[in-house]
This record gives sequence, structure tokens and C-alpha cells, in this order.
Amino acid sequence: MSTRHILLGLLASGPSHGYDLKRRHDERFPQARPLAYGQVYTTLQRLVRDGLAEVDGTASDGGPERTAYRATDEGARELERWAGEIAPPAPFVTNEIFAKVVVSILTGGDAGAYLLAQRAAHMGRMRELTALKTAPGADLTTVLSADYALSHLDADLRWMTTTAARLTTLTTEVRTA
Amino acid sequence: MTHGDTATATHGTAAPPLLTARDLVKAHGRTEALRGASLGLRAGEILAVTGASGSGKSTLLHCLAGIVRPDAGSVTYGGLRLEELPEKRLSELRRTDFGVVFQFGQLIPELTAVDNVALPLLLAGTTRAEARARAGEWLERFGVRGQEELRPGEMSGGQAQRAALARALVTGPKAVFADEPTGALDSLATEQVMTALAHTARESGTAVLLVTHDAQVAAYADREVRLRDGAVSPLEVTA
Amino acid sequence: MTTLTSDIRLARQLVHGSDRREWWRIALTAAGAAAATGFALAAVTLASVPSGYTVSHFHGLLTGAGTRGGVISGLLLLLVPVLAFLGQCTRIGAVHRDRRLAGLRLAGATPWQVRRIAALETGLACLLGSAVATVFSALSVLRLWSGPTAATWVGFALVAVGVPALGAVAGAVALRRVVASPLGRVRRTVRRSGRGPGLLFLSGLTVLVAVAPLAMNRGHVAGNRFDWHTPLTVFCLVVALGAGVVWLAGATARFTGRLLAERARTAAPLIAAERLRDDPWAPARTHAAVLLVTVAGTAFLCIRHALLTDLHAMAPDHRAADLAYYTTGLDLTGAAVLVALAITLSGLAVGTAESLATRRRTLAAQVAAGVPHTVLGRALLLETALPLAPALLLAGAGGMAIGTWYATLTSDGSLPWTALLVAPAVYASCLLAAATALPLLRRSVRPGELRYA
Repeated sequence: MSTRHILLGLLASGPSHGYDLKRRHDERFPQARPLAYGQVYTTLQRLVRDGLAEVDGTASDGGPERTAYRATDEGARELERWAGEIAPPAPFVTNEIFAKVVVSILTGGDAGAYLLAQRAAHMGRMRELTALKTAPGADLTTVLSADYALSHLDADLRWMTTTAARLTTLTTEVRTA
Repeated sequence: MTHGDTATATHGTAAPPLLTARDLVKAHGRTEALRGASLGLRAGEILAVTGASGSGKSTLLHCLAGIVRPDAGSVTYGGLRLEELPEKRLSELRRTDFGVVFQFGQLIPELTAVDNVALPLLLAGTTRAEARARAGEWLERFGVRGQEELRPGEMSGGQAQRAALARALVTGPKAVFADEPTGALDSLATEQVMTALAHTARESGTAVLLVTHDAQVAAYADREVRLRDGAVSPLEVTA
Repeated sequence: MTTLTSDIRLARQLVHGSDRREWWRIALTAAGAAAATGFALAAVTLASVPSGYTVSHFHGLLTGAGTRGGVISGLLLLLVPVLAFLGQCTRIGAVHRDRRLAGLRLAGATPWQVRRIAALETGLACLLGSAVATVFSALSVLRLWSGPTAATWVGFALVAVGVPALGAVAGAVALRRVVASPLGRVRRTVRRSGRGPGLLFLSGLTVLVAVAPLAMNRGHVAGNRFDWHTPLTVFCLVVALGAGVVWLAGATARFTGRLLAERARTAAPLIAAERLRDDPWAPARTHAAVLLVTVAGTAFLCIRHALLTDLHAMAPDHRAADLAYYTTGLDLTGAAVLVALAITLSGLAVGTAESLATRRRTLAAQVAAGVPHTVLGRALLLETALPLAPALLLAGAGGMAIGTWYATLTSDGSLPWTALLVAPAVYASCLLAAATALPLLRRSVRPGELRYA
């Protein structure tokens, strides 16, 4: 995930300062990890260094001093290029669950019990996300980002169900290899 | 249902179960669909029953809803033992206290949507005009608008299922039994049907027993019970 | 030939793997075909009796060429309810058979292969029935009649082969929709227009108009030769009348359905009325034969009354024959009407049972939702009762009109009160016939039906 491009995208609607950018990011992408303010600040500085953004001005409004930034023409072109570029369909998936299952088999642990517990945790999170998206007044941004997470959790869950059903075969294969 | 009670302490006060099944056994010919399944459905909760194909989900729903009698075990509802009631009384109970939704087939193909929804009210003795008016309100609550006079064959699958939900809820039942209600729908229609079901059930305090093999559908429930080989596996009750 | 044997093998496998209803269809189709063959063979035998030959049975009724023609017409008329019954039998399991053959089409069978298989399925069942009937008819002809002619046996062969052939053709024609589209009828959104019976009515009427004058003329000249025009005229009259009655029954069914669907106050009439409004032609087809029998029965009682009054009024020496000669003829006709009624009622019972079997999934879902069996049973009976009441009233009135016309022509114009009872009696027996399907309702709504698509 390119924080650079997301901040550039948020700047596209007009000049904005760091705190405002962080707030808008967390609003737009509710299921993503919230941005740290420090991360926003360093990313903005790199954007200025690369000529993709520039300082728009400083204002204090009686409070602490704030620097507003705006995107340059080059920044707008770069953003357009990035937005049209296809995301590579995950060539390597880090599968922590699978790794734990295999390690558990190798060390003589109970992989089945682990999968059940993991399944329960996944279901719990899915229920939370479903409650979030069906809450009255939930906006479409929330619904869609919850859906994205739900589909991924569902994929994990399916994989766990089929794996749980084939644990015996997997155990023999792992132990003999 | 002993396993779930401890597991769902989070679900407000520990209300007594509305419907309790104990050690249900049911065979279809030579295959045993249920082998000692126990379960409790609390008032107002949405309970998902999941499990692999053939694990006995539908049979469990049929036993709980009083549609079939178990070979052994008991189903208790409001002090009544369902397996001991005569068919006439069971049928009345299903009409007044329960609602059912299946994957499809529950709407009469020759009746319009509004008449289908009005049918349980007509059976209860409501006048036709009043029944149709109330059916219309329920269809509107489920977002079926402008299609009241269409027959099920003329509606999309999602609309027909929402009409079926309206029909199941129109009498104000204590419990609704839904067997794969979204089994034939795409994900968007599934979301609409499930959101409608979850909202209305919570609003009216209706308990829902939801049989599904789809985790995303099961996630609409307050808790989940997994069946394996015709019994509730103790480790697999999640809240 | 290899394609034929492979088709036969496929048809056999399909029948083997199917449920009990398929066997019901085969058994009832065979029974219907046997009845059709029997009546046709009797007609052929009588037609082949050389003129001047004295038949001692039935008080010599069959000796005269004229009365023999009448009996032949009667036998041919009996084919009408038999054919209606056969039509009902082919509907048994029709939905499932449509689906099965559509599956064959999807699996890559050509339209002709599907047609052949469908034709074989029906044709073989008809062949079974016609073979049994032919054997027994041949045996009784040999026992009763010392000198059957070559024409008799030719006629026998034609009927024995013709009935299964016609059955096969009908079986193939019934599947034209499946053959046209492998997906069959997935959704029932198309309404049938009901133009079919109207066209049949018009064509029957056209043939009638063409043939009737011939029959009138030849009737006098015919003398010794067997006259085929009269039976044909009567047959066309019946076809035209039948199609008209189907159309009338359909129209009344639709009208009743529309009228009651809006006014129904309880569940059973609402379900029945909406089913009528949705497809008024299904009950119309079933009820057409019932209406025809009612017209015939009512008219027959009036004519019988008029004839007997006439005969009794006549001095014994003025009569052309013994009184028993006439009463035997009348009794035979009465028996034929009763046989027709019995066959028709069987068709009605089969039709009701079939409509239950086709809908068993929906019905099971209704019972699961707590709709009482009694409501569904009442709706089922109302589906028969509602459209039949006005149609039977009309049929009874029609029969009385014919009777009155005949009575004013020949005798004092008095009418028997029994004729008025025909329509209500038929109505009651139709309800009883439909009620025979009610035990099936209880059996077909098993929760097991909820599990399959």
C-alpha cells in the first residue's frame, strides 16, 4: 500500500495540512490501519523533496502553526499513472495460519484445536464487521471496506474448514516428508 | 443447550431459552441425520447453525420448527413438548408462533406477492382488505415496492426472498426458521435479504434460527452453532 | 436400426431409474390404450359384418345396417372420453419428464433423438395395452361369430398398430416445447392464449359443414351398404362440440377466477381462484369431457323418455319390432353414457392427483408454514368445483334444449324430471372423483420435499 499516493490523492481535492490529511484518511478507509501523524509528516516531506507536492502556506489560526501542502502538476501526473496501474495479484501470500498448522504438526501439537480456535476468532471478527456495516446510518465507504475485510476473512475461513477436514492426510504427509 | 449458555454471557441477561432441543435423533431411511443434537434458541437472538453438507442442519431446523418429529429426544417451547403435540396443534403453532423461510418454494406461484404475504393473516381470520393492507406495509419494510401485484415467477430471486421473509414475519412470530434463505442469491441480494432479516428481527424481538453454510451469512447472527455428524460439537459453539 | 435399439435402451433405462409415478403413467396409459383399442375393434368388427347377416345378440339390434351404424357411432363416440383420459395420463409426471428430456437435450441429444425417445416411451405403453385388448377381442370374435371376414382382420391389424402409433405421435407432439429449447420451461411467465381449442372448434365445424350434407343425402341411398358419413358427421359434431365446450369451460374458469380472486375472503377460495386465473385451460381440458357427457346424458334421458312415450302410445301391431328391441337399444346407449362418465371421472381423478404431485414442493412448504391440510384440501376441491358449476349449468341447459327440441318434434313434448338430475349428479361425482386425490395430499407434503430443488 503506497501511503505517498494515497496522500497525493487526498491532496487532489485541494490544499490541506498534515493533521487534516490524517483525519480524512482514517475516515475514507475505515478498515485500514490508522495513519500515524509522524508517518504523514515524513511522507509529505518526501513528496516535496521529489517535486510531487509543495508547501501552500502556513497559518496558525490562533493555535499551533500548521503547514498546508498542495499537489504539483507532476504530482497529479504521477497520481494518474499510479491509479491506472494494475495491482499485482499477490504473488506471495504470507499465510501465518498455514505456517502455524504445519509447525504444530511438526512439534506434535493439536492442529485441529488450533484451527477451531482460529475459526472462532475469525467468526467473531466477521460478526463485528457485519454489525458495523449493518448499523443504521452506515455509509457506503464503511460498508464496502467492511465487505472487503469480510471477503478476506471468509476466504481464510473456507480454507481453514477444508484444511481441518484434511488434517489426517496432511499430518502423514508432513511427518513422512 | 449447555455449551452455548456459558459462551454467550455477553449477550445481555441470560434469558431462558425460548426453544430447547435435547438429544435429538432423526433418521432418513438408513442415514442418521441427527445423532443426539442439543440446542437452545433464546428469545430475540439470531442463532446461526452451520456445518458441512449432510451434517443435519436442515433436519435440526425441521425438528425445532415442529415440521418433523424426532425419533428420539425432545423439543420444548413455552412449556410445550412439540414432539408430543398432535399435528393439528403443531400446524397451528407454526402458523401463529413460528415463521419459515426456505431457499425457495414457500411462495405460492399463482398468488401475487401481497396475497402471498397476506395468506397467514387470512388463515388467522383477518379480513382480506386488512390482511392485504398489513401485507403491503411489511413488503414495504422489506423494500419490495411497486411489485406487490407481481407473482413470484415474475420477481427477481432477491425480491421473492424478501417477500418470503415478509410472509414469515407478518404474524409477529416469536421465532423465524430460515433454511439457507440466501442459498440461491448473489452476494448483493444476499446482503439485502440478510440486512432486512437482521434489522426486522432485532426491531421486533423475533428469534431467528438461521441454517447456512455461508460464513458471511452466519456473521449476521449473534452466535453460531456448528453441527458435525448430526450433533453439536462442544468445541464449536462460538459467541 | 442401431440408433433405434440404442434409443430403446435409453428409454428403458430412463423408465427404470424413475420413480413410482412413471409406472403409474405407463400402467394408466396402457389401460387407456386397451380401452381405446377395444372400442375401436368392436366398431371395426361391426362395420365388417356383411349386410343381411343376422346377429342374434341384443334382440337382433345389430342386424339392420342402420342401427348397426348407430352402434358404431356410439362406439366411436366412446373413444372421445377414452382419448381425454389418455391425455390426462400422459400428463402424469409431465413436469419431471420434460425436465429429464430437456436434460438429454442439454447432454447433446438431437431433437429427433429426444422425439424418438419420448415417442417410444408413450408408444410402447400403448402397444402393451393395444396388444392385450387385441388378443382378447380376437378371442371373443372367434367365439361369438363363426365367419369373420378378411376385412375384419385387416381392420384388427390397422387398429392394433394404429393406436400405439397415434400414441407415439401424441407423445412426441406433447414435447415440442422441450425439443425446441433444451432449457425447457424454467419460469412460468408465459400465459397460454387458449387459441388452440378455438381453432379446433372452427376446423371441426368446417369439416362438419362439409360432410353433413353428404351424410344427409347418402343416408337415404345407402340402403345395404355401410354408410361411413353418419359416424364421421357425428364424430365431427362431437369434436366441434368438445372444442367449443373446452373453450367455454376455459372462459368460465377464467371469469370465475378473476371474479373470485378479488372477492375471496378466506385462504382456500383465494388460492383456488388465483390458480384458475393463472391457467384456466388446465381445468378446462379436464372438464371438457365431463361437460360433453353431461350434455349427452341429459339429452339422452329426454330422448329416451320421448321415444318410450311414443312407443307405449303406439298400438303393438304398429311397431316395426318387438318393444324389447327398442328398450335394448336405449339401454345400450344409456350404458355407453355411463361408461363414458366412468372413464371421464377416472380422467378427472388422475388429473387432480397429477396436479398435486406436480406442486408437492410448494404444498410441503405451505404445510411447513402452518397452512392447515384442510385449507389446501378445500382449495383443491374448489379448483374443481368453482369452474365446473357454471359450465355444468350450461351443459345441463344445452342437453335439456336438445331434449326439448326432440320431444316437441316427435311426441307430446313432455320431459322427464330425471333429466334435470343429470347435471347435479355429475357435479357430485366429479367432486367425489377429485376428493379421491385428497389422501395423496397428506402423503405428498412430506418434509422430505423441502430438501430438494
